[in-house]
Amino acid sequence: MVSHFPKCVPPSREGIEKRATQQRTSFLSLLLPFLLLAPAYCATHQTALDLDGNAANPLMSNSGHSVVLLFVDGFCPISGRYAPEIQRISREHQKDTRFYLVFPDKSETPVNIRKYLHDYGYSIAALRDPDHVLVKQAHAQITPEAAVFDAKGSLIYHGRIDNLYASFGHARSTPTTHELEDAIQAALAGRPPSSGGVAGVGCYISDLQ
Amino acid sequence: MKRLWALAGIGCLLAIATRSRLGQVVLAEATSDRKGSQQVTFNRDIAPIIFQSCARCHRPGESGPFSLLTYDDVKKHARQIEVVTRTHFMPPWLPESQALKFADESRLSDKQITTIKNWVEEGSLEGNPVDLPPQPKFVQDWQLGQPDLVLTAAKPFQLPPSGSDMYWNFIFPLPIDRTHWVKAVEIRPGEKRFVHHANILVDRMQNSRQREKEPGSGFEGMEIKIESETFDPDSHFLFWKPGTTPYVEPKGMALRLDKGTDLVLNVHLQPSGKPETIQPTIGIYFTDQPATKFPMLLQLQNDAKLDIPAGDKNFIVSDELTLPIDVDLLAIYPHAHYLGKDLRAMATLPDGSTKTLIRIPHWDLNWQAVYRYAEPVFLPKGTTVSMRYIYDNSDDNPLNPNDPPERVRGGNRAKDEMAHLWLQVLPRNFDPNGGDPRMALQEALARHNLRNNPADFEAHYNLGAMLLRQGKAGDAIPEYEAALRVRPEDTTANNALGAALLASGQPDRATAYLRTAAQGAPEYFDAHYNLGNALASAGDFPGAAEQFAAAVRIRPDDADAHANLGSALAELGQFAEAKAQFERALEINPSHALARENLQEMQGAASHP
Repeated sequence: MVSHFPKCVPPSREGIEKRATQQRTSFLSLLLPFLLLAPAYCATHQTALDLDGNAANPLMSNSGHSVVLLFVDGFCPISGRYAPEIQRISREHQKDTRFYLVFPDKSETPVNIRKYLHDYGYSIAALRDPDHVLVKQAHAQITPEAAVFDAKGSLIYHGRIDNLYASFGHARSTPTTHELEDAIQAALAGRPPSSGGVAGVGCYISDLQ
Repeated sequence: MKRLWALAGIGCLLAIATRSRLGQVVLAEATSDRKGSQQVTFNRDIAPIIFQSCARCHRPGESGPFSLLTYDDVKKHARQIEVVTRTHFMPPWLPESQALKFADESRLSDKQITTIKNWVEEGSLEGNPVDLPPQPKFVQDWQLGQPDLVLTAAKPFQLPPSGSDMYWNFIFPLPIDRTHWVKAVEIRPGEKRFVHHANILVDRMQNSRQREKEPGSGFEGMEIKIESETFDPDSHFLFWKPGTTPYVEPKGMALRLDKGTDLVLNVHLQPSGKPETIQPTIGIYFTDQPATKFPMLLQLQNDAKLDIPAGDKNFIVSDELTLPIDVDLLAIYPHAHYLGKDLRAMATLPDGSTKTLIRIPHWDLNWQAVYRYAEPVFLPKGTTVSMRYIYDNSDDNPLNPNDPPERVRGGNRAKDEMAHLWLQVLPRNFDPNGGDPRMALQEALARHNLRNNPADFEAHYNLGAMLLRQGKAGDAIPEYEAALRVRPEDTTANNALGAALLASGQPDRATAYLRTAAQGAPEYFDAHYNLGNALASAGDFPGAAEQFAAAVRIRPDDADAHANLGSALAELGQFAEAKAQFERALEINPSHALARENLQEMQGAASHP
């Protein structure tokens, strides 16, 4: 499945502050624009956040690179077990591809995420996605799952990292397929990935709408 | 401008109304399916299921990756819970329902599974607070109170962050100076989230120490064998799996632990993605009531038939044993590796009736367990116990360790296969003056195994050990010789044959085998000790003294070894050294008769030259 991420840009912090100021000084005259903006504002003020609380949209700052989002959860043992493999893949493809760990759990805190990154030895960027903006763009359902966007921002793959897990609790001794790596290479080569995407085996993302 | 505002507002309202309408439709269908029953709520319908069947493991410090103790906990994982219960992955319980019930069955009923499904589909409602049952209370520390003896692994094991499952063995030397009887053992395997199961084996001969690179380091291995030179069959399952509460032995049954015994904890570990430190602890509860009932672990197995062609989806291995005495079956432990698919055990009674002892239609090594029956199962003499295991060595089996599939045979490694069925049986209706009734079981088992596989080293060895125990050294010798034809270099069998020859008055023949054993395993106490005896019997006192000295070096606290070394030194005229050895033996065991007599004799000789 191929889809495009939304073209709308989330308002910057400055933009929000400016609007608030205008609202205070001239409430009535700005009522309509504000309300007209409301639907769009509802959709775009929700963004992923970096660990300092700043809005972050990895798909808008990819500098022409492919982007891989890896959805993980701190409580999910299968997410944890994939840490060495995620780091191996990110190391080997970091030249041409940007990698982000995405934590979709609404209650996950930056403190916990930093500890998680430290414990598992992660060196790739991590984002919180409490409003599931990236979750929706990537069609993620489960942690761990991966989404690959090509340099144009098109979602060319979403699904499992590989087939290490056949089902809950049933891990192969080694995976025999490597869907994520194939999709990364496909994004670079401008070809469709070999796999259309198979759902990951792991933990369902909570409060998914 | 107002019109636009109104439209925007209506748009929002429409969206809300649509969502609400969809919700009503779903609810209506769910309600219709359940024929007008109430909506499912957490407080009334779900909490009792979760508290009863999930919370034991899903709470802080336990093996579950997240807690399930509150509405928020459960709602957060509602979708996950619905899927894992519907697919019977959770709670983990492999046997299918059968007439013979097991204690602590943790299977959810179909009705409970449907209730969870309905709850999730209806939006995971919390419900009325008054319906919420109290949270279950769990003992936070040692489950049975402070143990009498707590042992911690000497060195932790560093579990690597990645790779396939690992099996590590920790040796716990017992710091006891006399025999104790054990009524319960609590295994704390370390970080429970990474331990699938753990199993204690009683190593009365400290054999496993030979596998450690250095004392206390532990060693890797999925299956370990504990060998004993005397008839002293394993009798108890000492098993841990997630959610286990320590098993307290029933009245009259207790596990004997002697001075010098090691406990070996075999732990099945799964890498977590980061380095983990695993350092298990064992808590032991003693009783002052020695055992009056002596169960036995009876093992059916047919590994010799395990030669599974690559790609075979339905390879069948079976075995059966006819019981020579009446027994009560107390517990059962089926065991196969990653190719096991469908495991079944049956009993055919003398009247022709049959009982399913266990059936696991979807075997999963990760959730292997000992299953104790809710009530003992009486199996009269003449009952045939049978096992029938089906293996899948094809690509269809995702757990197949070989890609592509390869021919697989029986063996101890994870990539080998096993076809084992352990039964804990308690002899019943036997003549109390007729000797240990378990010997009949052991002999039947060994002879049965030899019929299956005439080259079965262990069967020959066990038969020899049992015959030697019965004082039939002459009958034991050919069994040990047969065992050595299978494994000529085996140090334990060489030592056993040497001991049997020594017991039958053939010290000269014994010496060669004992020397092979002692040279093959320089730290093997028994081989040096027996060789010392054989050499002394043959009049070679310098050689005997050398061997007893080696035995003393290996076990400095063994009174017999000191006394025998003293005797050999006395024969060589080294009286001062001999006296020191006798005194050391008496220091260890003040009632050591040989040491006392020899010491008195030497002192008498010294005072009456």
